[in-house]
Amino acid sequence: MKLFFYITFSILILMSNLTNAENKENTKDFFTISVNGLVCDFCARSIEKLFMKRESVLDIDVNLEKMLITVRLKKNKNLDNQTIKQIINDSGYDIVEINRE
Amino acid sequence: MNKIILRCFFLSVLIFITKSHARPISYAGGWTIMQMNDFNKHSFHFHFSPSIKYSIGYKSEFWRKKEWQFHGTQLNYLIKRINTSKSQTNFYLKNGLGIAFSDYKNFEKKIEPNFFSGLSFDWEDRRYFTSYENRINYNSSIDKFFVQKARVGYSPYIGKYGDLHTWFMLEIQHMPNVQDKMVFTPLLRLFKDDYLLETGLSNNNNFTFNFIKRF
Repeated sequence: MKLFFYITFSILILMSNLTNAENKENTKDFFTISVNGLVCDFCARSIEKLFMKRESVLDIDVNLEKMLITVRLKKNKNLDNQTIKQIINDSGYDIVEINRE
Repeated sequence: MNKIILRCFFLSVLIFITKSHARPISYAGGWTIMQMNDFNKHSFHFHFSPSIKYSIGYKSEFWRKKEWQFHGTQLNYLIKRINTSKSQTNFYLKNGLGIAFSDYKNFEKKIEPNFFSGLSFDWEDRRYFTSYENRINYNSSIDKFFVQKARVGYSPYIGKYGDLHTWFMLEIQHMPNVQDKMVFTPLLRLFKDDYLLETGLSNNNNFTFNFIKRF
């Protein structure tokens, strides 16, 4: 009985740690971009279209109030800063900061 | 004649709408359809932006008073864009080259080269909008003119990304060599996603209807 308890408990802890590790990994799969000039929804559509063309991008969220773009990446995918800058410039905006924390 | 032109424009717009699943805006590689109608003219502009600095495309117009048409190429150039943390400002140069066609009065199916050029400016933040544009048009005999227009706009609420956005605008159009030198048009602008619509009624009782689709 004790053995069963220890094994079950150990498995639960292990599974819990694995899930946490997976969640931590997922929370890293996004970044935010602060841009200047993001005042118009109609014009900001270009950002969404250009990011969604990238194979590594899962989806994006645009916050016009904060002029902030959140880009979520597919699992184990990345997008380098140079590519991000190019996308923002090709959309017609100026990048202020890329935040990956 | 007028009705035929209008039908052609609407048909063209419908064809493009049914084909357009995506591709917006004036981004590098984007396509745009602009269809405008006011007391002066009906116009259709379909352009492609190879980069954020340029767009090039087909332009057609039907000028209502002298019943002439323009068909040609329009090149738009972004002279300067100023992005700030609260606003965006743009300066553009627009040039068109093509043919003018008219069978108005003694112009019996007359065709001649036509050129136009103009500057435009716009500034907007999330609450206010202002713009100005002018155009000088030249052909040898059908119609030569200068036209300029200015707009101010106000958004009654600040919408989020994806919401329906609403703007109230006032447009003033000035054309020195016509009877109605100054025409005032209050406008309602609505946009959502990749679609923009404008509608208004001018002080000379003419409807304005503009439609833009970016893809």
